[in-house]
Amino acid sequence: MIGYLLRRVGWSLFTIWAVVTLTFVIYNVLPEDPARVIAGPQARPADVARIRTQLGLDQPIGVRYVRYMSGLVSFGPPPADAKDDSAWALGPVRIDLGVSYLKRKPVVELLGRALPPTLLVGVLALFVQIAVGAFGGVLAAMRRHSVLDWGTVALTLVGISAPTFLTGLLLQHLLARQLVWFPLDGYGQTSAERLHSAVLPALTLGLFGAAYYTRLVRDEMIGLLKQDYIRTARAKGQREWVVVYKHALRNALMPLVTVVGLSMGGLVGGAIVTEKIFRWPGIGSLSVDAIVERDGPVIMGVVLLFSTVVVLANLLVDLSYAVLDPRVRRS
Amino acid sequence: MWDDRATRRFFANKGASVGLVLVALLLLFAILGPLLSGHHPDHSDFEQGRDALGQLAGSSARHWLGVDHLMRDLLSRLAHGARVSLLVAFVATTISIGMGAIVGLIAGYAEGTRARSLDNALMRLVDVGLSFPYLLLVMAIGAAVGETTILTILLVLGLTSWFGTARVIRSKTIQVRSLDFIAASRALGQSTPLIILRHILPNVAGPLIVIASASVAQMIIAESVLSYLQVGLPPPTATWGRMLQEGQRMYTATPRLVVAPGVLIFLSVLGFNLVGEGLRDALDPHED
Repeated sequence: MIGYLLRRVGWSLFTIWAVVTLTFVIYNVLPEDPARVIAGPQARPADVARIRTQLGLDQPIGVRYVRYMSGLVSFGPPPADAKDDSAWALGPVRIDLGVSYLKRKPVVELLGRALPPTLLVGVLALFVQIAVGAFGGVLAAMRRHSVLDWGTVALTLVGISAPTFLTGLLLQHLLARQLVWFPLDGYGQTSAERLHSAVLPALTLGLFGAAYYTRLVRDEMIGLLKQDYIRTARAKGQREWVVVYKHALRNALMPLVTVVGLSMGGLVGGAIVTEKIFRWPGIGSLSVDAIVERDGPVIMGVVLLFSTVVVLANLLVDLSYAVLDPRVRRS
Repeated sequence: MWDDRATRRFFANKGASVGLVLVALLLLFAILGPLLSGHHPDHSDFEQGRDALGQLAGSSARHWLGVDHLMRDLLSRLAHGARVSLLVAFVATTISIGMGAIVGLIAGYAEGTRARSLDNALMRLVDVGLSFPYLLLVMAIGAAVGETTILTILLVLGLTSWFGTARVIRSKTIQVRSLDFIAASRALGQSTPLIILRHILPNVAGPLIVIASASVAQMIIAESVLSYLQVGLPPPTATWGRMLQEGQRMYTATPRLVVAPGVLIFLSVLGFNLVGEGLRDALDPHED
């Protein structure tokens, strides 16, 4: 078990390293010159050259890569000259993602500020997805071949086929513009306001997953309800809801957990579009801005954060399998 | 694989038939639409103006669906948007399915043999690919190259989306490889590439077709998302995502500028999803 754990953690670290390196290479071999973008189109060549030197962009790519990677994670106390320290410290561990070209702030600080809004919407969306998926899927499977089942299947198909920006605009139009139940966009000042504003983005982000998981749970439950042990439970005279929720749904949750873990990447992609529609000051908006402004360090930071989340989710899924199914550990 | 029974199952499925009709209508619209409207999609018609309330000209005999904010014919732009969407979706899917099939077949065939390190390496690559926030990658490349062409979009979408396919085809290949007729053809001295092409590929073609159909739907979404975020094809090229984004500003005055491309995106994606599900059920019927 320990060996399996170490191997999986090792591969996860490798994957994150590979993603970061790939992004670094792609971003640095592209013809765009960040110094030119910062200086503006009218700048004198001397100024562009000065900015290039300031940012260390005149160094060869290998040197820049080594500098970035060695600063990324380090151990030890902060440097004596703490004035331009751009690292985030957790005890002796220091994570340094550099300084934003345009905002002139440490990337860790920008990410730290954008993370709470994104987490708020992301967690709410995840909750919507799993709650709707588990409830709708069970309902449809129990009433197989009924109008309810047929309607659920049709609805899930609609949910799967509507891109995030369409559902977002539709919800915004219906619930914010017509009914005025929720704010049109923005983040809000107080916690209550923020929660209120988070409802529409969370629904938008959660809708696709809700439809997808309903489908998954339904198909899974239909298979499970035909199993012998379910017939046994019914024959014992067990109440139907106990049979469904205690015996069948428990076994349908495992594939659900897997898919939730694996679809983290999709959630991340959806967050970019959703935050753009609702002007939500989260990681998605930060990344769109960074790309438009060619802010290399911020792009690198966002990619690192996103890929870490995805890799961690996959790791958790694998480990939960290993805990629940001893056969996995031996392979 | 595909036989008469599968065909019958496919057409007995109401959803699949609806999907097929939607896809056929979409193709027809993309081919005939530009001819029907008779207007250039990027040319403004300056004889059209706004009325006293600032409203854009609605539908008329000259412009069947009216004009957009730059007085360009809406029908013509929608039809050209359909061409872009379908072209991108089909070509990117071909690239993605081709890559996924090649990598999946090779990795699956190498798994557990002397060449298993090849399988390991390929699957690590797939792991990395699946952890990559591809939307960010696409946007970064699009923004940095400056002028995004249809080729950039095709390559980026095609080359970042084959990882899942490779995983599925790999596990399918491992199943097929252990069957007796593969051992038999190996005993007869057939070469490995020939076995993969002639015996394994036809047996994994079913899932491949199903994935391809769903992938076309995903590519239509991806292209429209890129256009919507303004990192897709640059203006004035008509794409549904950009039309939607441009129409959004005048949504209250002229909702049709948003509704028309939105409905088209939704119906196209729905059509290909329905066909994909029909194919899946026809190829792999779950008895009940």
